[in-house]
Amino acid sequence: MVTPMHHGALKRKDLFWLALVALMALVPAVSAITANSFLMHVLILILLFASMAQAWNIIGGYGGQTSFGHSVFFGIGAYGAGMAVVTYGLSPWPGIGVGMLAAATVAVLISYPCFKLSGHYFAIATFAVVEIFNRMFLVWYWVGGALGLDYPMVEEGFKNLMWYDSKTGYYYCALVLFVLIFGIVRFLEGHRFGYYLRAVREGQETAESLGVNSTAVKLTAMALSAALAGLCGAFFVQYNLRVDPGMVMSLDMSMKFVLVTILGGAGTLAGPLLGAAVLIPLQEYTRALWGGLGGGVDLIVFGVLIIVIVVKQPAGISGIVRDIAKRFRRPADAKGGTSVGTA
Amino acid sequence: MVHCKSRMTICLLIAVAVTLMLGVAPATTLAQEKVIKIGTIFPLTGPVALAGQRCKAAVETAVEILNNKHPNIKVPLADKKGWLAGYKFVLVHTDSQGKPDVGKAEAERLINQEGVWALIGAYNSSVSMPASMVAERAKKIFMCGASSSAALTQRPDMKYFFRTASTDEVESHEFVEVLKWLNKTQKNANVKTLGLIYENSVFGKHAAEEAKKAAAAGGFTVVADVPFTPGATNLDSEVQTVKSKNPDALFGAVLGADYALMVKTMKKMNWIPKVSLNYCSGYQDPVIAKQLGPDADFFMGSTGYSPEFAGMMPAVAEVEKIFKTKTNNVPYDSDSIQETIAMLVLAQAIEKAKSLDPEVVAKTLYANTWPSPLSLSGKVAFAPGGQNKLALSIVTQLQGGKYKRIFPTEKADTKPIFPMKAWDKR
Repeated sequence: MVTPMHHGALKRKDLFWLALVALMALVPAVSAITANSFLMHVLILILLFASMAQAWNIIGGYGGQTSFGHSVFFGIGAYGAGMAVVTYGLSPWPGIGVGMLAAATVAVLISYPCFKLSGHYFAIATFAVVEIFNRMFLVWYWVGGALGLDYPMVEEGFKNLMWYDSKTGYYYCALVLFVLIFGIVRFLEGHRFGYYLRAVREGQETAESLGVNSTAVKLTAMALSAALAGLCGAFFVQYNLRVDPGMVMSLDMSMKFVLVTILGGAGTLAGPLLGAAVLIPLQEYTRALWGGLGGGVDLIVFGVLIIVIVVKQPAGISGIVRDIAKRFRRPADAKGGTSVGTA
Repeated sequence: MVHCKSRMTICLLIAVAVTLMLGVAPATTLAQEKVIKIGTIFPLTGPVALAGQRCKAAVETAVEILNNKHPNIKVPLADKKGWLAGYKFVLVHTDSQGKPDVGKAEAERLINQEGVWALIGAYNSSVSMPASMVAERAKKIFMCGASSSAALTQRPDMKYFFRTASTDEVESHEFVEVLKWLNKTQKNANVKTLGLIYENSVFGKHAAEEAKKAAAAGGFTVVADVPFTPGATNLDSEVQTVKSKNPDALFGAVLGADYALMVKTMKKMNWIPKVSLNYCSGYQDPVIAKQLGPDADFFMGSTGYSPEFAGMMPAVAEVEKIFKTKTNNVPYDSDSIQETIAMLVLAQAIEKAKSLDPEVVAKTLYANTWPSPLSLSGKVAFAPGGQNKLALSIVTQLQGGKYKRIFPTEKADTKPIFPMKAWDKR
């Protein structure tokens, strides 16, 4: 159900996010954190995967179109930056722009026929798209084929978007990515386009009967979502300094887009961040603790914890947070407090 | 009640997170002892997990020898004497899952959080590449046992990277020499055309490229070039494509279970070339050879070690006893033994340098020839770029489930069965 936002709530919500970003910007000032490069790595991945999930959330959460094909757009963005640096010896920046544009174009070309399908059939079609692109890139000589692209050692800094000795540069880039994508989604939430998108999710026929061009809305949302996923892919390749089809264009990567969002809470602004904040540390720390034992103990523990969360609260972590918030709000309500409207 | 449950869930999650974060903090108790921490990066889960587990066991075997007195084992430093006698090696294992990004992240964690002195790994060439770059920037030695991509040791700026195994470039030239030798020594051999079947990965693609170069130099024509996706569940179309071109010889770069599937599919399609040569791959895996039974016979491949080589390498027997206790009685294969060699050579270099300065040890590694009773050549020496220039492999043929040495002839213990026997005549 789409409900209009309360203006007071809007301001409070924005203040919360601004305070959170300010707090995150101060993280590198704490030497105890920057000295721990693994912790910095985890924080960077949280910001990256939250951004990826938020990009997916535009079409998957707000638009209700479950796409398992986002690793294709992510991969195209990654290859854009990778080829600029490795193949053409340029700075990654022009490659990032070309990659985002290419991702949006491919998304529109793929989605136009796929949007004629609905529900499970749309999801299945996007699965197939990942396999097609994966195979295509594996044998495409121009993009490095199965060998992939390995970055050369070049000068570090913002120009080349590459740092070797410190992770602070990567952290701030990830934070900018996070602010940009969350900012866009926050803007869309209150914008007419956001309402159209949610109206299409709630009932395409009903929305169309009210004059919403559902195809145009879904295609625009998909193009925006894909371009942002491509931007995340560019950051991913700059961070790992290598790209091959298995790393980026895989069902495994596509599942991460979906899993982080669903776990956090699809169709909510905070969901992707909550999902990434729980899932990524779990993934990284379980592997660091138990991965060396072999036998996949870390993966088993990781899987069990996800099951626990999903069983406890099918609405995701944002559902758990909402329950807690209600619990704290209840005494205030009893004293005459007002409830906060949600979108 | 719902809220209680939610609170319990949150508390549970926080407790788990705190436990995990505390658990990952580097151990400080070891700082008081004279220890040398070595980080290992292998694919302990994923499609090549079995190979990764064996590589891990191989490094553990070397460390067990180095940390304790083993007068009955005839490898350097097994007697626990010298400068290193006061030190203990401690291993910190990690799982790359066969993924380059995970391998890179684990290399960073091992160096920055665990404080390891050197790294060993990473089996998958695609993981060794970024992980060794991390080590290079941190000025840490990276010992590579089994990654076969020639590109790893073609990086001129690398000073801390060392590989003990042979490369796909060397193996390709060796395979072409085998074809020439068969043409010369076997009646009506007439091997002229070549087919390639390989997994579409860094390993397979590199092997195929080197095969094409070696074939062109040797005067053989490549008539089939067939990649496939690793972890395939069906290879019918790939084998059918090769069959339609009917090459005289087939070179395969096919790992693990894919190799078994390829052999079974060839049998199903009732096709076999005159000769089939395989890179370090499923062919070498004794478990897969056992699973395939008689179907595995008459295939050939490069082999750095198999239990049948015991007569040539007497020192292996005692070492292998320790290794088998860690692998549920599975013996060494060509890949896993290289990881033991890598660790033993590294220890010798530290002993010789009498220093834990990585730069000094790296220079020492380059400057000397190291006795290595577990290597076919008996020695290890590194060329610029870090490749072991004395790495040898022997071409074997499976006959009656045994890896029989056939080439080079001075190392051979039997004659090749040529051409391969047709499926209905076995």
